Amino acid sequence: MTATAAAPAKPRTPRAASTVPLTAARLLWVELRHNAVPFILPLIAALMWFDSYRPSVTQPPVWALRTFWNMGQGHTIIDFGPFVAGVAAWMGSREGRRGMTDLITAAARPRWVAQLATWGATAIWAVGAYLVFVGVMFGVYIGQGVQGSPPWWWVAVGAVAVAAFSAAGFAVGAFFPSRFAAPLAAIGSLLVLMMSSQTGFRDKGGWALILPTNSNGNYQAPSGIFYPYLPDLPIARMMLLAGIALAAVGLLGLPDRAGGLGLRRAAAVVTLAGVVMAATAVGLTTTARLGPGGIVIPALHDAANDRQIPATPVCGHTAGTPVCLNPAYRQYLGDVTAALQPVLAEVAGLPGAPARAIQVAGPYNSSEGAFDAPMAISGHPPVLRIPLDTVNLPGTSGFTARPVRFIDFADQLRVLAVHAFVGAGAGPGTTAQQVVQAALMQGAGMPFAAQPQLLGIAGLAPPPPGGPAAGTGREVGPASKTVYAAARRLAALPAAARHTWLAAHLAALRAGHLTLAQLP
Amino acid sequence: MNVELTDLTRRFGRTRAVAGVSLAAGPGVFGLLGPNGAGKTSLLRMMATVLPPTSGGMRLLGRDPGAYGPRREIRRRLGYLPQNLGYYPGFTVAEFVEYFALLKDMPAGQVPRAVATAVERVGLGDRARAKLRTLSGGMLRRVGIAQAIVNEPELLLLDEPTAGLDPEQRLQFRALLRDMGQRATVIVSTHLVEDVGAACTEVALMDQGNIVFYGTPAELIGRGEGTGAAGDAPLERGYSAVLAAARSAVAARA
Amino acid sequence: MTAAGVHQARPGAAPVPPGRPGRAGLRLIGLFLVSRRVPAALGVLAGLGAVLWAALYWRWNIAGGPAAQEVIPLVIETGAAGVIAVSTYGPFGEPEAATGGRLVWLRLASALMLTAAAIGALAAGATGGYLPGGTLALVRDVGGMAGLGLLSAAVLGGAFGWTGPMAYWLITESALAAGWTTPWIWPGRPPHDTGAAICAGLVFAAGLAVFTLRGARTSARE
Repeated sequence: MTATAAAPAKPRTPRAASTVPLTAARLLWVELRHNAVPFILPLIAALMWFDSYRPSVTQPPVWALRTFWNMGQGHTIIDFGPFVAGVAAWMGSREGRRGMTDLITAAARPRWVAQLATWGATAIWAVGAYLVFVGVMFGVYIGQGVQGSPPWWWVAVGAVAVAAFSAAGFAVGAFFPSRFAAPLAAIGSLLVLMMSSQTGFRDKGGWALILPTNSNGNYQAPSGIFYPYLPDLPIARMMLLAGIALAAVGLLGLPDRAGGLGLRRAAAVVTLAGVVMAATAVGLTTTARLGPGGIVIPALHDAANDRQIPATPVCGHTAGTPVCLNPAYRQYLGDVTAALQPVLAEVAGLPGAPARAIQVAGPYNSSEGAFDAPMAISGHPPVLRIPLDTVNLPGTSGFTARPVRFIDFADQLRVLAVHAFVGAGAGPGTTAQQVVQAALMQGAGMPFAAQPQLLGIAGLAPPPPGGPAAGTGREVGPASKTVYAAARRLAALPAAARHTWLAAHLAALRAGHLTLAQLP
Repeated sequence: MNVELTDLTRRFGRTRAVAGVSLAAGPGVFGLLGPNGAGKTSLLRMMATVLPPTSGGMRLLGRDPGAYGPRREIRRRLGYLPQNLGYYPGFTVAEFVEYFALLKDMPAGQVPRAVATAVERVGLGDRARAKLRTLSGGMLRRVGIAQAIVNEPELLLLDEPTAGLDPEQRLQFRALLRDMGQRATVIVSTHLVEDVGAACTEVALMDQGNIVFYGTPAELIGRGEGTGAAGDAPLERGYSAVLAAARSAVAARA
Repeated sequence: MTAAGVHQARPGAAPVPPGRPGRAGLRLIGLFLVSRRVPAALGVLAGLGAVLWAALYWRWNIAGGPAAQEVIPLVIETGAAGVIAVSTYGPFGEPEAATGGRLVWLRLASALMLTAAAIGALAAGATGGYLPGGTLALVRDVGGMAGLGLLSAAVLGGAFGWTGPMAYWLITESALAAGWTTPWIWPGRPPHDTGAAICAGLVFAAGLAVFTLRGARTSARE
C-alpha cells in the first residue's frame, strides 16, 4: 500500500442525469458477467430438446399443430420457468448469504437499485436464452418445411412468463436468503404451473383461460393457416405475467433498507400497478368468448383479425372430382385424393354427389383436442367440405409409437365423407341413414366387420344397447345387427339397381323421412 | 467537524451496545480501541448509516443522516469497511471495487481511473484481474480497504482493517491512513494498539458502550505510567490502566 | 502469553468429568446436522408433507388418466429431494475436509436421516387422500429422487443439487405422456414393480455412495 505524494483530485459527485444511464449500464454489465443463469442453460437446453422439441416432431408439419405441445400447452414455459425461478432465488439471496447487506446499504445508491441490476441481469439472461432456444427450434422447423405461420404471440407470452418467474423467484430469495430459497422457489413455480394445467383441464372458460399453461383456446389447427392467431388471450396473459413481475420487483423496494421514503413510495406504486395490471387481465378474461378464429376478448379484439387469411388452394382430381386443399397442406394432396377416390366413385352421378371437394377450417372449439367435426356437403353445386385439420394425418403419430398409416387416414376420411353424403349430421343418424352409410362404406372398401370400430374412432357410432350416448361401436348390439342385416341386403343389390334406388330415395333419406321398412 | 455525536445510544433488546457516546472529530486519524463487545462495531455501523441510533444526535459531514437526502449525500462521501467483509467469490478485484464505486454514485467516466488508483494504493495492482476466491485473507482485507477508499471519501470508517495483514503491509497501511487523514476524517476501530499509536492523532477507548478515555496516544501512555498495569508496550499499559480504572469505577458505583 | 499452568486446573475448580464417547458422538452428529441446516430442512419437509396433505384432501390432482394424477404428488416429492440435496453442504470448506474419517459417516447418517424424514413427512401427508401407488410407490419414488439429488450435489454443488430431481421430474412427465414403460422412469411403474424398485434403489445407492465418499462439490458459486 502506498501513500502517494500526489493524491488524485477528489472526484465530484454530480447528479447530472446523463451519468445515471451510463452507471446503470455499467452496473448491469458487471451483473451480467456474474450471473448464475448461464450455469443451468445447458441443462435447460437438454430438457427443452427432450420435452418441447422431441414430441413436437411427431406432429404434422403445420406450425399450429407442431407447436401446440410446446407453445400451445406451455411446455417451453414449464421447461424454463421453474429453473429460472430457482436460480433467480439464488441470485436474490446472494446479498444475504454473502453478508453484503451492510456494505450495499452503506452505499449511496439505494439498495433497490443494486437489486434491480442483479434481477435485470438475471431476467436478460433467462429471457434471452428462451428466445434463442425457441428461435433455434423454429429454425429447425423451417428447415423441416413446416407450413403456415409461427405463433409469435405465444412466443411473446413465454418470454414474459420467463421474466415473471425470474422476478418472483428473485423476490423470494431476496426476502428469504436461505439455501432453501432456490429449491422452494423452483418447486413452487412448478406447482403453480401444474395447477394451471389442472385448472385448464377442468375449466374451459372464464378467468381460468388466463393461466399460463391452460391450453384450452390457445390456438388450434386452423390458426396461422385459415385464421390469424388471435392476440386477445396472449395480450391478457402477458398483462397478468407482467403484472406479477412488476409486483415482485416493486416489493423489493418496500423495506426500510431499500432506500429513501420517496423511492419506497415509488416502489409501492410499482407494486400496486403490477397488482392492478394482473387483476385487470383476469377481469378482461372473464369477458372472453369463443369466436370463429379463437378466443375473443372484446376489449382487446381487433375485428381485422376475424378475416380469413387469403390463400390460393392447391388442387388435384379423383374420380372426376376436383379436390382442393390449403397450400399449407399441399403435401397431403395425394393422400387425400387417393383416400376419397373409392367414395367419390361410389356416389358419382347420384343426387347430392359432390362436384368438388375443398378443405375448410375445422370448427374452433374451446376444449383442447375436441375435434368431432364431421364433413358436410352443401351448396349448389354440392361441395364436400373437409376439415382436414381434425383428422390424424398420415405419417404423424402424436404421442403414440406407431405413425398413422395411410389406410387409417383414408378410412377416417371415407367414413366422414359417406356420413356427410347420407346427411346424418353430427350424430350417428337415423337407422335408415346408418343402413345406407354401411352399404356405401362396404362399397368403398370398408368391410362390415370393421365398420363399428371405424365409426367409433370417428365418433359416429350409434349408442350401445342400453348404454350411454357415446360408445366405441365395437360391440354390436341387436339394433346394430338389424342395421347391418339391412345393409347387407342393400349392398347385395346389383350396382345399377342400388344406384337407381339411391337416386330415388336420397332426398327422403337425407331429410330423415326414410324408415327401415322402406329399405330394400 | 466531520463527525459530531451527541449522547448517542443504541440498544439491542435489553442490551445497551452504545451508551450515550459523545465525541467530535475533524480531519485526521481517529482510533477507536476497546475490548470485545465494547460497542465499537455498533458505533461504527451507526456512523456508516447502516444502523439507526436508538437515541441521541449525530451529524456527519455537516449533515443529519436521519433524513434520506442528507444520508445519501453522506454515503457518497463515505467509505466503510466492516469487520466481516462479505464478497462475491467470482468477482475480480477490479470488478469488486468497481461495483462499489458505481454504487457510491461516482460518475461512470471517473470510475476506471479511481478503481485503478485504489487497487494500486492497497498494493494489489498486479492482482487486479484475479478472482476474489483466489486471494488470501490479507489480500481480501486489502480489497475491502480499496472499495472503501475508491471514492476518496471525506469520512472513512474502518473496522479491524489490518486483520490478516503482514507487518510490512501494516506499515504501508498506516502510511495510507496518515495520508488520507490529511484530507478526511478516518476512524479506525482495532484491537491492535500499535496501529493506533503509529497512525492516530487521537484515540477513544470504549468499554461496555461508554467512552472511558478520549485523548492523544501520548495521553493514553501517560495514564499507564507508574500504575503497574499489564502490557508489553506503553500504549498497552495505558490501555489496561484505563480499562481497569473504568471497571473499578463501575464496580464501586454498583 | 505463556504456556505455564495450561494443564493445571485452577485451584478450587471442580474436577472435570471424563468425556463420554457416546455423548461426544451424539454431540458431533448434532453439530454436523446444524451446520448443514438439517433442523430447518426437517421443518421444510414437514411443510411439504402438509402441502401433500392439502393436495390430496382438496384433490388438486390433474384431471386425466392415472399417470396424470401422479403429477402433483410427484412435484412435491421432487421438492423433498431438492431439500435433501441443498442440505448436503456446509460452510467450513477446507478445514472440515482436512479432518479425519468421521466426516464420511456423518454424511452417510445425514443423508439417510433426511431421506427417511422426507419419506415420513410425505407418508404422513399422504393420509390426506388417495395417493396413486400408495406408500410403497412413495418410498420408491422419494428414494430414487433423493439419490438423484445427492448425485447432483456431488457433481454440481450442494446449492444447485435441486436441479437434478427437477430435471428428472420433467423427463418423467414427458415420458409418461408418451407412454414410456421403462423401469428407469419408476414413477410410471406400478408400486410392486420389481424393475422400477431396483432402478430407483440403484440410483439411491449410487447417490448415497458418491455423496458419502466425496461430499457435495464445493463451488465458488456458494
